[in-house]
Amino acid sequence: MRILLVEDDTLLRAQLRTALQGAGYTVDEADNGRDAQFLGETEAVDAVVLDLGLPVVDGLTVLKRWRAAGGNMPVLILTARDNWHEKVAGIDAGADDYLTKPFHLEELLARLRALIRRASGQASAVLQCGDWSLDTRSGRVTCAGQPVTLTAHEYKVLDYLMHRPGVLVSRAELTEHIYAQDFDRDSNTIEVFVGRLRKKMLPSAGSSADPAASARIETVRGMGYRLVPP
Amino acid sequence: MNVPGAPPAPSVHWSRSLRVRLLAVTLAGVAVAMVLAGLVLSGLFREHVQQQFQAALQLQLDQITARLEFDAQGQPVIAAEALSDPRWLKPYSGLYWQVDAMAPDGRERAGVLRSRSLWDTSLALQVDALADGAVHVHEMAGPQGAPLLVLERTVRADAEGVHAARWRLMVAADLHATQAATARFTGVLALSLAVLLVLLAAAAWAQVALGLKPLQALQRAVQDVQEARASQLQGSFPAEVQPLVDDFNAVLRRHGEVVERARTQAGNLAHALKTPLTVLDNAARAQTPTHGPELAALVREQVVVARRHIDWHLARSRVAASAHLPGQRTALQPVVEGLVRVMNKVHADRALDISVVQPPVSLFFAGESQDLQEMLGNLLDNACKWARSAVRLQAQLLPAGSEPAQPQLVVAVEDDGPGINAAQRAQALERGVRLDETVPGTGLGLAIVQDLAALYGGRLDLEPAGLGGLRATLTLPAANAH
Repeated sequence: MRILLVEDDTLLRAQLRTALQGAGYTVDEADNGRDAQFLGETEAVDAVVLDLGLPVVDGLTVLKRWRAAGGNMPVLILTARDNWHEKVAGIDAGADDYLTKPFHLEELLARLRALIRRASGQASAVLQCGDWSLDTRSGRVTCAGQPVTLTAHEYKVLDYLMHRPGVLVSRAELTEHIYAQDFDRDSNTIEVFVGRLRKKMLPSAGSSADPAASARIETVRGMGYRLVPP
Repeated sequence: MNVPGAPPAPSVHWSRSLRVRLLAVTLAGVAVAMVLAGLVLSGLFREHVQQQFQAALQLQLDQITARLEFDAQGQPVIAAEALSDPRWLKPYSGLYWQVDAMAPDGRERAGVLRSRSLWDTSLALQVDALADGAVHVHEMAGPQGAPLLVLERTVRADAEGVHAARWRLMVAADLHATQAATARFTGVLALSLAVLLVLLAAAAWAQVALGLKPLQALQRAVQDVQEARASQLQGSFPAEVQPLVDDFNAVLRRHGEVVERARTQAGNLAHALKTPLTVLDNAARAQTPTHGPELAALVREQVVVARRHIDWHLARSRVAASAHLPGQRTALQPVVEGLVRVMNKVHADRALDISVVQPPVSLFFAGESQDLQEMLGNLLDNACKWARSAVRLQAQLLPAGSEPAQPQLVVAVEDDGPGINAAQRAQALERGVRLDETVPGTGLGLAIVQDLAALYGGRLDLEPAGLGGLRATLTLPAANAH
């Protein structure tokens, strides 16, 4: 999942970046409204954390421009002032949730998870597909009840697919949502990650799990991948 | 308008000077009136003089007509001695008569008979066909180029053998004297109007100067305030300016109060923040290797304390500035609608049923819109946090009675959540107390609402809700709908 982080305070942005990356997100950053607007319009971001008090163009204006241009990614706004006037203005401009500064990073992550889940139509914080399960809160992945250890990139691929079970996801789309904008992207590595995921997400030998209950990642030749429930 | 010692007034475009505008309008009006009066009066005079002159000439024409006779050959004869005015006889005297013969074939013989005063000239008037009894008036150049007023009339000869069928009788008089009289009159008139114009302009200037004088005094008074020589506008002003001065003084007073309050609040906040800062400072100085987790916990705890102080003081300072401005009015409905939009979005994944029950008439809160938003926002947010599935906002108007004397706006927000017991309800209104640390919030929400309501002379009541959870009832002063 790719998050666009828009915050002009360097220290807070660094804290947020660390927290978001620690939670398994790919992070793109902007420290002013103009760059934020550009990134939001051109990059495939899955959610935005948007500070309202920004230099060059203020956050509310950026948000309105995104929405006017048809951008429908979930947006969490950060307001410095704890007043309802600003919250109403933010929601009316198209925000999906707000957080008042100062806030706890855990709360920000929880709100963000909920927004992403809501946007992809998932009701629970624990994504389930057959006997695969991914807890978006802890990042814990299990297969047939057994914990599975994944690398950061493997987790990102699985997380993206688990949010869209049964949906065909192209390799380009996966690349876009897993790497930040300035990363040297190579879609061949996606193949490698999917191959490793297929090996890791198998019930351990000797377990009583029913192989028919297992989900799998299907390759659609020339198109991409699809997570297939059992 | 400069005051000694004051900075020079910045040069402004003339159209922005009140004095120039007033003077320009007055002078333009007066000048137009003068010109019109001059034109009308001189026109009337000229017409009157000409009418008099023409009436006198008509008499002469009638006399000539009466004296006109025809001899045996049918030639017209006028007995010169029968005409009394000596000017008929004196050459170029300025009073003339002439008889023209008009043949039936339309040919004309001018000057068949002339007054002696015409001497060797005749009056050459163009051919004209006149009905019986009609008199025509012409102006033409006469002997020696003098302007003449000519009256003509056509008569028929009844006698047998008369030479011509019709005769034209003319009398003419020199217009020179009347024109001179008119010119003299116009000259005197123009001079008097010009003098009048100057007098009126002087009066207008004096009026504007007198009228604007209080503004100069006002400017001096404002300058005194600006340069801190006075805290209020001082001096007595005319009845038209005094209300402005009073209003301005009220604004100054209010401004002073706001500054004073802000100062106090900044002081209070600084004082409140010093405690957690001292605690943190002491903890940092006394660091020991085993301090890690304890210090972190202490920092977190003190940051929470500091944050509560900031929230509390910010909320208070926001409302304190506006709570007592008279005449404020906020419609309830748009505020509620905005907040419900926020709640629906923010609590979208819980699919809450937020219903609003309002009387059909619009309700108004007698206060600032942001304060209403603050109070209702906190109440709705609280209700939504705790509700299982439903939140209800009910608004009504309590008309003015003996108790209370003002109409009151009552807004109740209730939820179907777990609710809280009586002891907890009292505690919830205490500053900074959070009954449940698992739901995010500063623990100030209800206490801030209560404080804001109190600043407006209203109150917040907590009781068990019909829906099962908590019912928070906000009573506020209502404003009239007009």
